[in-house]
Amino acid sequence: MSGEALRALSETALALAAAVFVTSLLLLLLGYDPVSSLAVMFTYGLGNVEYVAAVAAPLVLSALAFLIPLRAGLFNIGGEGQAYLGALSFLYFSQQFGALGLLAGGLMGALLGGTLGALRAFLGVNEVIASIMTNWTLYYVTLFLVSRHLTHPEFPHRSIDVGFFLGSWTSFLLALALALLALVLLYNTLLGYEIRVLGSSRRAAAYAGIDVRRVTVLSMSIGGLFGGTAGALKVMYVGHLDTTMSALFGVGFLGIGVALIGKSHPIGAVLSAAFLASMIIGGHWVELRLGTPPELTDVIVGVMVLVLSAPYALKLLQRGGRLG
Amino acid sequence: MVPLVSMKGITKVYADGTVALRGVTFELAEGEVHALLGENGAGKTTLMRILYGELRPTAGEIFVRGQSVAFRSPQEAMRRGIAMVHQNFSLVPSFTVADNLYLAVTSVKPMRRGEVEGRARELGARLGIEVPLEARVEQLSAGMKQRAEILKSLLLDAKIIILDEPTSLLTPLEARALLGLIKELKAQQVSFVYVTHKLREVKEVADRVTVLRKGANVGTFQVSEVSEAEMAKLMVGAEVERVRRSRSGAPGEVLLEVEDLAARDDMGVERLKGVTLSVRRGEVVGIAGVQGSGQKELAEILAGLRRPERGKVRLGGVDVTGRSPREMRRAGVLYSPESREEGLALEMSLVENSVLARQGEHASGVTMNWKSAEERARQIVERFRVVFTDLWERARNLSGGNQQRLMVGRELESEGLLLIAHEPTQGLDVVSAEKVRGEILRFRERGAVLLISSDLDEVLELSDRIVVLFEGRVVGELKGGESDLERLAKLMGGAL
Ligand SMILES: Nc1ncnc2c1ncn2[C@@H]1O[C@H](COP(=O)(O)OP(=O)(O)O)[C@@H](O)[C@H]1O
Ligand SMILES: [Mg+2]
Repeated sequence: MSGEALRALSETALALAAAVFVTSLLLLLLGYDPVSSLAVMFTYGLGNVEYVAAVAAPLVLSALAFLIPLRAGLFNIGGEGQAYLGALSFLYFSQQFGALGLLAGGLMGALLGGTLGALRAFLGVNEVIASIMTNWTLYYVTLFLVSRHLTHPEFPHRSIDVGFFLGSWTSFLLALALALLALVLLYNTLLGYEIRVLGSSRRAAAYAGIDVRRVTVLSMSIGGLFGGTAGALKVMYVGHLDTTMSALFGVGFLGIGVALIGKSHPIGAVLSAAFLASMIIGGHWVELRLGTPPELTDVIVGVMVLVLSAPYALKLLQRGGRLG
Repeated sequence: MVPLVSMKGITKVYADGTVALRGVTFELAEGEVHALLGENGAGKTTLMRILYGELRPTAGEIFVRGQSVAFRSPQEAMRRGIAMVHQNFSLVPSFTVADNLYLAVTSVKPMRRGEVEGRARELGARLGIEVPLEARVEQLSAGMKQRAEILKSLLLDAKIIILDEPTSLLTPLEARALLGLIKELKAQQVSFVYVTHKLREVKEVADRVTVLRKGANVGTFQVSEVSEAEMAKLMVGAEVERVRRSRSGAPGEVLLEVEDLAARDDMGVERLKGVTLSVRRGEVVGIAGVQGSGQKELAEILAGLRRPERGKVRLGGVDVTGRSPREMRRAGVLYSPESREEGLALEMSLVENSVLARQGEHASGVTMNWKSAEERARQIVERFRVVFTDLWERARNLSGGNQQRLMVGRELESEGLLLIAHEPTQGLDVVSAEKVRGEILRFRERGAVLLISSDLDEVLELSDRIVVLFEGRVVGELKGGESDLERLAKLMGGAL
């Protein structure tokens, strides 16, 4: 193993220890027994690997949605909105076209990502601000459609059922295949090279004759493609959307954490998505076994994401967001 | 007498396994200017960052006035009167000079802002250090920034000032002023460590010199007792061959024509105000001028990176005005920019940087052909002796000189007609600089060279003709080789 990989691994191990420490403290403060809670969290999550695969699949994709633009020096906070749009499109198109609904979800996400990219490239609109605005707009659009147009005939609080379904393992393999595709894109194609040069330095990209606008739009579109597919996979797994949005909310945001924990590498994203998925599932078991409220699980997972991604995120900030 | 600073058996192994120093001993006496001389990567900066508390030695001891010290931060070093001025400075660009001084001083000891400014004014006036306290740092020239850094050190009551390659960013006039200031401060009992790879500066300013080679001290001498040739030999471990320029034959047809070119810089300041010049095949044309005379904008226009407001550029008779960087390169322009941050993607590997700006040539369809890219990288690092550990390591891990060799080497290894070389030897040691100069001269056989350099000796030595720019206009043209430095410097100052 190379020195760099070894260092990355020991860094992650340290961060994990820190995360366990912080969450234990939190549990203690709230009056829960940290040892048994964390024991349940770490072991029960891995008890059902198929379940982990199902939860991890959309996270892999929403991480890619953040990761690809990040490699071009762009912050796609819009993965959340892209996931909503992807989920809606899948819900709608899968009724008639089945599996093609997944493609529709991805393409709609790409369209949204590409639009954000074009706003940035041609009008100088900051992609972070535009992303946040579209995220919330689409949140309410989704709520509106679920309760007014795509509503289930018998249960007004939820949408119709999806028209296509893939098993957990198939979904995960699809996500894995797309992660490998992202890997090839970044490291073996001309476009990937251009994306990484742009992420390394805008001046160097101009020097190299790279069309910065084109790469901005393309990388945001590709990010959107993954974001849209993430939403599609998520709604496919749950089977429908409801007016609490609990199935969908946070998929895009969590992807940011997954990408950072995975050190903005597609394979790292797969590993960290699987890990976080097992934490989320383990968290549900903690609720069942120890009677903790579900919000506590969210908090613990949130703290884990923060602490685990902190070393890399800080390094990134120090470098002014420059990546190779 | 106890030396002011004594470093004994300093060894430094970086986290990635690089052994930068191997048991170095270094002494600084009270009131002396001690030059630390060595090639790029010899370990000069590492040794001084250890003294300044920025790095911890892997082994070895440090004594200040005979007392053993182990600094854990620069603040601790500053409390002992040690200050360091980094090669690229460490001022906050968006703050004013006064803000920066206040920030630095109060990180070591509490002081009111008014008092900081008062003392800065008083010190500046007494020592003749002119720095506009209210100006924002980003608006200052490199020379001004350096004076601000030195003033900062003095406000911290530094008795030992470490200057790391202090003239590398300065114009010749600013460099001269700096050497004057050092002598002035020396008279006030300030001691200096003067880090450099330039032999001439050692001779000019230092009392003693310590030569580092590959992380080891290969000798400490009184400067008066050692010749430049001896120092060069110690520094590189071999005799240095000087480039002997052969007069070029009669130049060929006109290759580049620039007509009445005008352009603004990024801030909207008019930098080129109607420049006309031509370069013939087989020529090296030097562009001389103080920083900001328009040479940077000229280079950028020729590389396709800046649009002129007016004027024409013709290459081989074809109008190429306003073409993109890609088109310019296709037309035969090779460009080695002044800044490595521009000419290299520092977060990417040597291989990836070896194909920067010609990435399309190393792709088959949409996929990159890394085999051919690696091949190219290997050619460049071999021919230009780039020192590296792995072709796939990040270019940022290379020392500045190696980055420079990689960048210039990449351009010289490429097919092209016109080479624009902006500060091609900046940060290079004597041997590498001579190597690059030799290659630039050889490039005349393939086309022509436009050489922009603040190293006037270099411009005089390599150029067939020298075009002098002053405030965006051509103020004179000299023959290379036979012209003298004096006349060139006068023209650069705008005297006709
Ligand atoms: N932060 C670092 N990590 C790893 N290696 C380094 C680092 N800084 C410098 N080096 C290596 O240590 C050696 C000495 O570098 P340096 O002290 O910068 O030399 P100099 O200042 O004489 O040019 C070089 O081989 C350089 O690549
Ligand atoms: Mg150095």
